[in-house]
Amino acid sequence: MPASTLAIVPALNEETTVASVVQAIRTELGADVLVVDDGSADQTAEKALAAGAQVARHPFNLGVGAALRTGFRYAEATGYPIAIQVDADGQHVAAEAYTLLDLVRSGEADVALGSRFADGSGVYDVGRMRRFSMRVLSRIVSRRLGTRITDTTSGFRAFGREAIERFAHAYPTAYLSDTVEALLLTKDWGLRVVEVPVAMRERMGGQASNNAAKSVYHLLRLTLVIGLHPLRRPQIRGSV
Amino acid sequence: MKLEIVLFVVVVTVLGIVVEVVRRRRLSESYALLWLGVGLTVAVLAIARPLVDRVADALGIALGTSLVFALAILFLLMVCINLSMHVSRLEARVEALAQELALSDVHGLESSLDRLHHREDREHRPPLEAPPAVPGPAPDEPGAGDARP
Repeated sequence: MPASTLAIVPALNEETTVASVVQAIRTELGADVLVVDDGSADQTAEKALAAGAQVARHPFNLGVGAALRTGFRYAEATGYPIAIQVDADGQHVAAEAYTLLDLVRSGEADVALGSRFADGSGVYDVGRMRRFSMRVLSRIVSRRLGTRITDTTSGFRAFGREAIERFAHAYPTAYLSDTVEALLLTKDWGLRVVEVPVAMRERMGGQASNNAAKSVYHLLRLTLVIGLHPLRRPQIRGSV
Repeated sequence: MKLEIVLFVVVVTVLGIVVEVVRRRRLSESYALLWLGVGLTVAVLAIARPLVDRVADALGIALGTSLVFALAILFLLMVCINLSMHVSRLEARVEALAQELALSDVHGLESSLDRLHHREDREHRPPLEAPPAVPGPAPDEPGAGDARP
């Protein structure tokens, strides 16, 4: 019998950690796992498959946002009422996922967000520049949503059925701005977002997908995304 | 002064068009950033004409306008090269996608061929009393009548 929860694991060249992440989700959460291999050059897909996950493979790299949308489309088509996004690099503690899932299951939230910065979360160290921009983002997004969001770029999130159906056709796919724009979209759709503090485990391996040299460009693009969001037309199913 | 007004109108129009196509989701933010940058550069050049003339002088170019033209042509050339690179990558990706799709449909084609054969078989076969749970073997093979009493 299929589980009621689907864990979506976007993965890019994570062959060292993906198997243990898949196993942890299956044993600790009892959830089905879909690993979306976003064009890995290594054995990520094979390792994930061997660990008991379903695997969807992008023929080339499309970005985390696109990988998530693939996951949402799978969850939509197969009818899962709840989906949870878990990173393949082992940063998320599977036990913490219960908190997020319970928020969605109880109907308290349509999207539950695990924050690395909220009071009560463990120490998570990032560079000063990143910390500053994350703080600015948090300020802007919190004001738009009318609820306090401390971690706008969190990749540890649970989604209810309505969020799954909506995001399956409109999850933003631009690099680095996808999580922020996704939060702005939840406001447009009237979905409730609840943030809870989570502890982060050390990265088990792999490379952090962040390049400091391009941060100014990404910051500018992010500003544009946030600035134009209220004016933009909604993405319509089948328009892309 | 007239020139400044004309340039101002041009810049505002360009910026307006860029914002509008982004709003309609016809242009991604990355390209929008490029064209917004172009618009703002034109605005700066319109105001800072003494600066343009001085730079042109320093480079040994007689007219400031020539410098602007030269830079504009160079910039557009770079954009064209960049866009052709993107088109090349898109072509490669479309090819890869079409191949993936073709290969993933190999089994689909086989099974639809099987279904076709199956239907032909059934048309020539007397109706079964109880349909087998698993698709039965072809009637002309030995053992085909096993399902019947």
